[in-house]
Amino acid sequence: MAAALQRRWFFAPGIIITAGCIISIISFGVRSSMGLFTHPISEAYQWNREVYGLAMAIQNLVWGIMQPIAGAMADRFGPAKVVATGAVIYALGTALMSFADTPALMYLAGGVLVGAGIATASFSIVMAAFGRLVPPEKRSWVFGLATSAGSLGQFIFAPLGQGFIAAFGWQNALFLMAAITLLMIPLALPLTAPVAREQATAKENAQIGMREAVRSALGHPSFVLLVLGFFVCGFQLAFVTIHLPAYLVEHGISEWLAASAIAIVGIFNVIGSYCAGIIGGKYRKRISLAMIYLLRSLFVILFLMTPVTPLSTVVFTASMGLLWLSTVPLTMGLVMVMFGTRYIATLYGFVFLSHQVGSFFGVWLGGKFHDLYGSYDPVWWMGVALGLFAALVHWPIREERAPAFAV
Amino acid sequence: MAGRTADHRLALKLALSVLVVWLIGMAILVRSAALGPDASGKMLAVFEPGTSQDAIFSTLVAAGGKPIRNTWLPFVWVVAGDGAGFAGRLKEHGAVGAYGELPFAPSVAGCLAYADAKVAELFTLRP
Repeated sequence: MAAALQRRWFFAPGIIITAGCIISIISFGVRSSMGLFTHPISEAYQWNREVYGLAMAIQNLVWGIMQPIAGAMADRFGPAKVVATGAVIYALGTALMSFADTPALMYLAGGVLVGAGIATASFSIVMAAFGRLVPPEKRSWVFGLATSAGSLGQFIFAPLGQGFIAAFGWQNALFLMAAITLLMIPLALPLTAPVAREQATAKENAQIGMREAVRSALGHPSFVLLVLGFFVCGFQLAFVTIHLPAYLVEHGISEWLAASAIAIVGIFNVIGSYCAGIIGGKYRKRISLAMIYLLRSLFVILFLMTPVTPLSTVVFTASMGLLWLSTVPLTMGLVMVMFGTRYIATLYGFVFLSHQVGSFFGVWLGGKFHDLYGSYDPVWWMGVALGLFAALVHWPIREERAPAFAV
Repeated sequence: MAGRTADHRLALKLALSVLVVWLIGMAILVRSAALGPDASGKMLAVFEPGTSQDAIFSTLVAAGGKPIRNTWLPFVWVVAGDGAGFAGRLKEHGAVGAYGELPFAPSVAGCLAYADAKVAELFTLRP
């Protein structure tokens, strides 16, 4: 019976990986197109930008808070059910956004529902599933691939979303996005694959309960350092995503190049994430992570110390793109090395929560300091300092199984 | 080693498949943005690659329009012309296509628009 199940065509490794990557593309892509609706929605209801901005801030926070919960559900009930449920919540939230004519409804639809949907149908859940399905030597590569797919989603959905809005209007565009989100339900089917390496998986996991696992992880110094480091990642990424276009325009860069800057980051991110996965499989992940944070700080310093020109903009955004989500496969890989595969989605969820808190501060402090000092420079330098801090905290991480998880 | 190559091949196939689907989606959007000969106002004018900037300006003047801004592609310009039939006159004077303002970076839009214009040309060829 089990052998017959494993022979199903959609349980072939290539199909599982392809389906998981498409889920990543959709999950990340639809979310990244949310910013395109700021103008049409605000204009339609005569809202100031704060209303939609707050809905998106709530979305990010809910995403972070829900990630460990969604992870725990995935570890308990399996990733496929969680992704399918998440797809329904995601689609419901996106479709409801087109009817949300009051701020409260927008906070609920675009903030809470979409945020919860992204968390439950996220690439973190997909990566956790991949971690259980592929042998240890391929894990880092497959994490890089899933992250890279998410980045590709960001790149391809932005123009697609703009095209939908231009061709069909923003309300129909949201419906189309919701329909695309529902595609994740059939795509989750291959993730129901019985773990072919069940016995091997059992061998690499300690027999402890989830509560004990979370308690032990939160008390493990290397895990705490990893969580602190990922806070910095969130801070830097969110600050650059939200405030870089405005910074560039302030320095005389044309509006369309400023708007394209994040697209340049996106395309180089596809390459960077994939390569980070490969590097993580060959070299020590903690050292690679430290180097990434160090290089980020270095590139920001160079960018700040040289005149802002179209060339420097392209060079900076391409460099940042290579280092953008390249932290994800390495961080996920480290969590798996320390704690095994059994509670990976839950434990990575806690690391990701720290990322989202960092994102909140990156966006908020960027705006706050700009209002106070009329410049983004203080927050740029704060990002540099935090990058150096992250490089330092990754260095002493012990890249080995945590004592409580030893088998 | 062979396993690694197969892995990278899978990643490449996946990326290419996604890009093909994306290109199909974008092609549909660009086709729907192609302007008929009666159109006027602000639009994206696409010329043959290698057309000199002087020739492009001459075309614009002859068609009764003016340049608004160039793009990273020297043969794609954002232009404007008020008189009815501006898009048709642009094509009569040598532009390969005229498109409504496409909602993404003009360089990307220009590349796609050029490809679209060339395909449209193929389908309108008469024996």
